[in-house]
Amino acid sequence: MKRHEMTRNDCLRILKSGRDKLLDPLRQTELVVIGGTGFVGTWIAEMVASLNDEYQFGIKLHLVSRSTEKFSSQAPHLAAREDIQLIKSDVRQLGKIPMNTDWVIHAAANPDVRTHASNPLDTASVIVEGTMSVVRTAERLGRLKKLLYLSSGLVCSSQDSSLSENAKGAPELGASFIYPNAKRFAETVCSAARVQSRIPVLVARPFSFIGPYQSLDTPWAQTTFLADALHGRPIRLLGDGQLKRSYLYGSDAAYWFLRILTTGPSGDVVNVGSQEDISLQDLAEIVAQNFEPSPEILLNTSPRNQGRTTLLIPDITHVHDEYGLSVLTPLNEAVKLTAQWHQMQKNCEKDIFSG
Amino acid sequence: METNRKIIISDPTLRDGNHAVGHQLSSEKIALYCRAADNAGVPIVEVGHGNGLGASSLQLGEAKVSDQVALITARENLSKSKLGIHVIPGFATIERDLKPALDWGVDVIRVAAHCSEADICERHISFSRSQGVEVWGCLMMSHMLSPTLLLEQARKMESYGAEGIVFMDSAGHYLPDAVRHRVELLVDELSISVGFHAHNNLGLAIANSLAAAEAGASLLDGCARGFGAGAGNTQLEVLIAVLERLGYSTDIDLYKILDAADLAEQNIMKNMPTISSNSVVSGLSGVFSGFMKPVLRIATEFGVDPRDIYFELGKRNIVAGQEDIILEVAKDLTQHKGKRIK
Repeated sequence: MKRHEMTRNDCLRILKSGRDKLLDPLRQTELVVIGGTGFVGTWIAEMVASLNDEYQFGIKLHLVSRSTEKFSSQAPHLAAREDIQLIKSDVRQLGKIPMNTDWVIHAAANPDVRTHASNPLDTASVIVEGTMSVVRTAERLGRLKKLLYLSSGLVCSSQDSSLSENAKGAPELGASFIYPNAKRFAETVCSAARVQSRIPVLVARPFSFIGPYQSLDTPWAQTTFLADALHGRPIRLLGDGQLKRSYLYGSDAAYWFLRILTTGPSGDVVNVGSQEDISLQDLAEIVAQNFEPSPEILLNTSPRNQGRTTLLIPDITHVHDEYGLSVLTPLNEAVKLTAQWHQMQKNCEKDIFSG
Repeated sequence: METNRKIIISDPTLRDGNHAVGHQLSSEKIALYCRAADNAGVPIVEVGHGNGLGASSLQLGEAKVSDQVALITARENLSKSKLGIHVIPGFATIERDLKPALDWGVDVIRVAAHCSEADICERHISFSRSQGVEVWGCLMMSHMLSPTLLLEQARKMESYGAEGIVFMDSAGHYLPDAVRHRVELLVDELSISVGFHAHNNLGLAIANSLAAAEAGASLLDGCARGFGAGAGNTQLEVLIAVLERLGYSTDIDLYKILDAADLAEQNIMKNMPTISSNSVVSGLSGVFSGFMKPVLRIATEFGVDPRDIYFELGKRNIVAGQEDIILEVAKDLTQHKGKRIK
């Protein structure tokens, strides 16, 4: 099986049992995804391609990004499609959005914490000025049915065991917290656009994801574990491994976003993530089980401050009750699929280098 | 006092100590000390040119042995201890220096920058982390930043993937309360561990290291007999003894580390580190300990008091790599002296 066949199967698995019909509002419409070549955008493109090929939805998808060349090399099977158009543009200077656009998903932001630390002003600029630019553009779209802004699960905090959309806690102030604060302000901009310009806008707050298309170069637990295992190294956990996280698989996330976009009421705020929490040690063990030979897991390779941890488990009662959405890819399966995809990619790179 | 808390010891005798001998440590001396430190159970042994990987040069001093020889020799003589290196981006590049160092068996990479310049470490830390080795971020001359600004820089290193932050008292300037305050803030605000590297200009290296431990630091640096730049570092064998007495666990055998220190004194050090009058002035003025030799040389050349040079350098917030300024300061002092005479 090829990598793109695997991601196609992932999408079809999500769309079966009549779930495709719940996306009927997308038929024969034009969808623009701004910041469309990252993890989320690529999975939405996979989902749209599946809907068009297997269910004849006739969606025209426009992916707006500064990195269209990278997308073409990483997902050539998507970039080459006639129903997907790549638009090279900075979110802050949007000028080429089709006037026939029905739906907009605004996902433009760099989630890499290294960039936030080194370039906090640029991080804020992309998020805040980018969102201003998106809503100004949306004002001119006569056919616009809905704008979905992808914020972040980090915009709120709570002492509870999981974060609901109504949590009142705010991120700390300071340059180190520029990303969640900018995202928080961008949510406010969206709210202002709804009030002042009557733009039908709603907000999704993504938490942690896992799946193909996620770069193993990023310094997150799931990507670090996969990279260690893929390179045949022991998986190293800095602390005792009891820190908890949760992960939603890429095709689940794409389906959720499309459902929220098409069925959510303007003004709604929705958590997007899995409530199935797992300790990092257990996650490392699941990752290890998917590699042969199974890598060793080393705990406490560096002592970790236990007092300073962020809670990143979403409360998904709202999305479950109001949208009927639930996690369709259990974590074990999500890790297995991700590991298989990266192994296939590694083998593919080996083939290229060996001629 | 019973703490039972574990402190990781990193021993830069064969790296910071290289400053004290003009980077002239031979492979025989490296092998000898590595065996002794390994036998004593030192968790991390840091090896290399005083300014770290790739730093051997006419400007900074040419090392007697290449990085390759030093690291391979160390690797061959360490069985339990991890092999560490000090990496300053710019001196060390990823392609030319870091990649080969990994092939030579390095376990711990400490990527260092002047305390306000953590940004320059992003690629080196990210690369090291991606290679599956242990990586720490080091903030040198940390007394030059307020605790709040130091935290901002530490947070950058954490975001790049550093597994811990070591803040360095490169000038031997701190008093214990200042160390305690910084460690407490970093421990409270970071999710990774915090370490401390002392110099002994004001005779406070042990006291400052203990203050760091009491405030929550997980890693301390110490060198045999304090063998290091300027007035030297925290004296390792004394640190182990005191930590043991206070109930901290280091996994280091006291008798064997005392033996290692004796061996180092007899076989490795040309001169024992002492707190010279100039070291005191260096510590008070907050000037990098490694400036001592050029300051003394230039002071003699220009016939000015080296202490005046130090205090002037301190006023100008001079950092490592700005050695050329010593000449400028000496020249200015000579001219002012002339004016005063008139």
